[in-house]
Amino acid sequence: MNQIDRSPCGGLGVSEVGREVLLSGWVDALRDHGEVLFIHLRDRSGIVQVVFRPDVADADVCRQAASLRSEYCVSISGSVRMRAPGTENPLLETGRIEVIATALTILSRADILPFPVSEKAMAAGAAPGSEAVTEELRLQYRYLDLRRPTMLDHLVKRHRIVKAVRDFLDERGFIEVETPMLTKSTPEGARDYLVPSRVHPGCFYALPQSPQLFKQLLMVGGCERYFQVVRCFRDEDLRPNRQPEFTQLDLEASFIDEEFIYEVIEELLVRIFALGGITLRRPFSRMRYDEAIDQMGSDRPDTRFGLRFVEATDLFRGTSYGIFKQILQRGGAIKGITVPGQSERLSKNVLQNEYAKEIVPGFGAKGMTWMRVTRDGLDSNIVQFFSRAEQQAIIARFGAAPGDVILMIADPSREVVTSALGQLRLHLAGRLGLIPENSFSPLWVTDFPLFTATDEGIASSHHPFTAPDRTDFDPVNREELLGLRSRAYDVVVNGEELGGGSIRIHDRQVQGKIFAALGLSADQVEEKFGFFLRALDFGAPPHGGLALGMDRVVSMILGTASIREVIAFPKNRSAYCPLTDAPSAVAGDQLAELGLAGGSGYKPLPGADRQGDLLDSLSWVSRIGLDPALRPALAAAVAEAEALAGRIALIPGAETPLFTVVQTENRLREKGLARTSPLAQAGEIFQNAPAVKGEYFKVVGILE
Amino acid sequence: MSDIFVYLDPSPPAAQQGPLAGQSVAIQANLSVRGWPTRAGSAALAGYVALEDATIIARLRQAGAVIVGAVGMSEFGFGRDGDAAGRALSEGHAGMVIMTDMLGEARLAAADAGAFGFKPTAGIVSRFGLIGLMPSLETCGLLARTPREIARAMAVIAGADERDHSMHDGALPDFLRPDQTPPLRTVGILKETLALSAADEAAAFGAGIARLAAAGLEIREVALPAWDDFALVHRIVGAVEASSSCGKFDGVRYGHRAAGAKNWNEMYLKTRAESFGPLLKSYLFQGAYFQFENYVAFEKAARVRARLEADMAALFAGVDVLALPTGQRERGGTDGIAGVYREGACTLPANVLGLPAVSVPGLVADGSPAGGLQLIGPRLSDARLLALAERLGSSQ
Repeated sequence: MNQIDRSPCGGLGVSEVGREVLLSGWVDALRDHGEVLFIHLRDRSGIVQVVFRPDVADADVCRQAASLRSEYCVSISGSVRMRAPGTENPLLETGRIEVIATALTILSRADILPFPVSEKAMAAGAAPGSEAVTEELRLQYRYLDLRRPTMLDHLVKRHRIVKAVRDFLDERGFIEVETPMLTKSTPEGARDYLVPSRVHPGCFYALPQSPQLFKQLLMVGGCERYFQVVRCFRDEDLRPNRQPEFTQLDLEASFIDEEFIYEVIEELLVRIFALGGITLRRPFSRMRYDEAIDQMGSDRPDTRFGLRFVEATDLFRGTSYGIFKQILQRGGAIKGITVPGQSERLSKNVLQNEYAKEIVPGFGAKGMTWMRVTRDGLDSNIVQFFSRAEQQAIIARFGAAPGDVILMIADPSREVVTSALGQLRLHLAGRLGLIPENSFSPLWVTDFPLFTATDEGIASSHHPFTAPDRTDFDPVNREELLGLRSRAYDVVVNGEELGGGSIRIHDRQVQGKIFAALGLSADQVEEKFGFFLRALDFGAPPHGGLALGMDRVVSMILGTASIREVIAFPKNRSAYCPLTDAPSAVAGDQLAELGLAGGSGYKPLPGADRQGDLLDSLSWVSRIGLDPALRPALAAAVAEAEALAGRIALIPGAETPLFTVVQTENRLREKGLARTSPLAQAGEIFQNAPAVKGEYFKVVGILE
Repeated sequence: MSDIFVYLDPSPPAAQQGPLAGQSVAIQANLSVRGWPTRAGSAALAGYVALEDATIIARLRQAGAVIVGAVGMSEFGFGRDGDAAGRALSEGHAGMVIMTDMLGEARLAAADAGAFGFKPTAGIVSRFGLIGLMPSLETCGLLARTPREIARAMAVIAGADERDHSMHDGALPDFLRPDQTPPLRTVGILKETLALSAADEAAAFGAGIARLAAAGLEIREVALPAWDDFALVHRIVGAVEASSSCGKFDGVRYGHRAAGAKNWNEMYLKTRAESFGPLLKSYLFQGAYFQFENYVAFEKAARVRARLEADMAALFAGVDVLALPTGQRERGGTDGIAGVYREGACTLPANVLGLPAVSVPGLVADGSPAGGLQLIGPRLSDARLLALAERLGSSQ
């Protein structure tokens, strides 16, 4: 048989029994029963058990089979048989049959694996492979990691989701257009990745943070409905679930309004979430930005559970409780949450010592007031400061019943109150298990402020091409500007922002007023956006769009712990690729050609000038200073080491390197809370320190 | 303070009841005992006081042993410096000495002192609390007047320790009932080592072999053509591991810190220049060379190490134990790294492969201290090896 007649391992079943098949794939697992050898053969379609029996396969095949190891790449011919009753493997889709091998070709051999690839036990009840492989190692050997059926399945599902997106948008009349990767810096929030130009020394392209201006130009260009599955780049500070490059579904349409976008995106999300077996209900809820902040303390609120905020500022206008009184005198705010029926789990001790003293201060507020509702009224460490009437008013306002707990945060800054209460809300929901499992709660957040106040003046909350809710504003009236709302919208699921967009400005005059409001001079506008503003002079259609973070969407649909699980070759948390070792230093010649070597921005590594001499270089890398008197002795020692290296090079030794003679198993720390060493707690670790400052080891400055 | 001890416990804890009740033990100052100065012979740890007991210290005390004090040592135990360990035993300050064996130090010190010296199989005794230098080559070594004392102590200190993640996982030798396993019957003599010894040492070795034959063991001459590769592998691997192990001595959290550094790098450079002595520094530069300039050579040494392991396994398929000289102190002291390795030429193979080895003293008829007879067994043959040493010793 030819490879063209190859059968997929996972496609074999009872209906193939009796057939001769040719299989190709990888040895997933082996079990040697003396004479008889069982292997799991895996290809992309799945796994099937292959049996080498000396009464069927000739001696040469059995001998070759005995040399098989995990992840050898092989071709096997044989016939499909039913398994003997009682030997079926319910873990395998093909578990009722097996292939009795007659021929074997080893296509290529594998070294000892850095971690197990196999995920399926060979017998029901046997222990599956351990999952505790470090992500760093998985990324370094990503090609092996991808062989694991779970990872391969992620890639397949991602493909299906992206294909569904393309099919759907095609149905709706969108066309996919590619926009440049080497482009001009665009006014998004983050830093650009820059690409130096060799032809124009000292000039740089920027990798796109989004195709924002190009997609608007496509609208001016008459495309009407555009989309693109596009890689975008942001040089942001490192955060756990971010990648320096990421994939967006970018779309834009002309002659439309918000409702068009809502309809298209809702329908799209319903379809692709369905691929993961998740039902999203349409229409999605909508919430204005002010409401979201006011009631849940976040512009991407998690609406799977309640715990909405109660406004209490007015309740305490006449209070004699000193702390509230002072805060209100400074124009502050008081808001709270009712936690229904949780007074058993939220004991006085938990509320006072954990939440009020530790947790809430970590959210930026100075403190938290708690009250437990009992049959007799309120129970709290400060209840004596409130009159009977005040207490009744509190209970009524918070709609509280016996067994409930009321939590309040007061602060001179309303932003601090909502932000801290928002974090407290999420913390409580997590701790008390108030988030229903496998529920998905999509939401549109709308009516964002157009501008945000900054120290220097104001800045666009979204970007300067976002349309305002009205156009009759005065571009120099700061108060009025800060009151403007934008026609922007975010789509949020379970408290995670999956995407966002806006209706854009298509009128040159309005765009000019926005730039004026931002305090940009005519020259600055011309330099940054001149090409774009000229386009608005030539009959730009009204348009708007949205971008979805596809890595995040796919990760949510597949329920993975991080977006790296749905990206074939991601960077790690340090924006570094352990597989290819990127980013890496480049040759001086390359820099020189780009006009970067010796330029103002380029500095050699400290000590690099000392690399010339081997002894100096070793002194530097091992950070042992050289005493001139010892130089001759150390030079002789290094020369001796070079001689030893020469000798070892000449003697035979092709074995796998042996770094330790003790065979050890991986040792996993028992699950449990990480704890501080008692020696650190008692401060004893400082006893041997040459210099200490407070609770730190004191050293000289790292930089001169 | 004597010229033997760098620290004597002024008030040893009251002896506990237990299998080692009354056994006095001296250690080297690289094994942590809470509250004891523990500078491991190096300026890098000047003023360092241990915060916790090493696992073996805790186990010895629990079993009733009394740790009397710490003897002087060379810098991190590299290269022999004086004979403090041997004298602590021979002059009666302690009934047992525990010291690090990286390339044979414990066996060589025992041979010098006319005592038994034992290096266990790598990975069966915890190294938690040991300020070591060559993790894959070193173990604790035990010196005592009788193998029985060593076996009793081994029964106490050997065994898994959750604070040492480099330990062997499987079953341990039964030190208290060595007779349960088959005794050692055939002894191999390595052709390659016969030419190494000086005349008096050769005579001592010959006497030792005669004693083995008299004890009923079958003597066979065997060959290990790759003998010279052991030292080469040890020199490269040892230097790299030492360089790596000494990386932590940066003057930040403990130990010596140079004064007046203007910045971070200068602090490291000056501190570490002042911390290490000339012999160790040469070794660290060699290690740095293999780590940073010629990693291929280090990797090759590890490959050769794998081949040596296979060669040795083949030898042990034919004989139960190997007999070879322990070696002896170079007259007039050693010169440099090469001298350190000349002394350890016969002992370091056991370190390269993590094998148990025991040095049996004074088998020469006239009783002159001309080196010991060293027995090396396969991994985990520790208890049987000590039982054989016991047989030889008691037939004196």
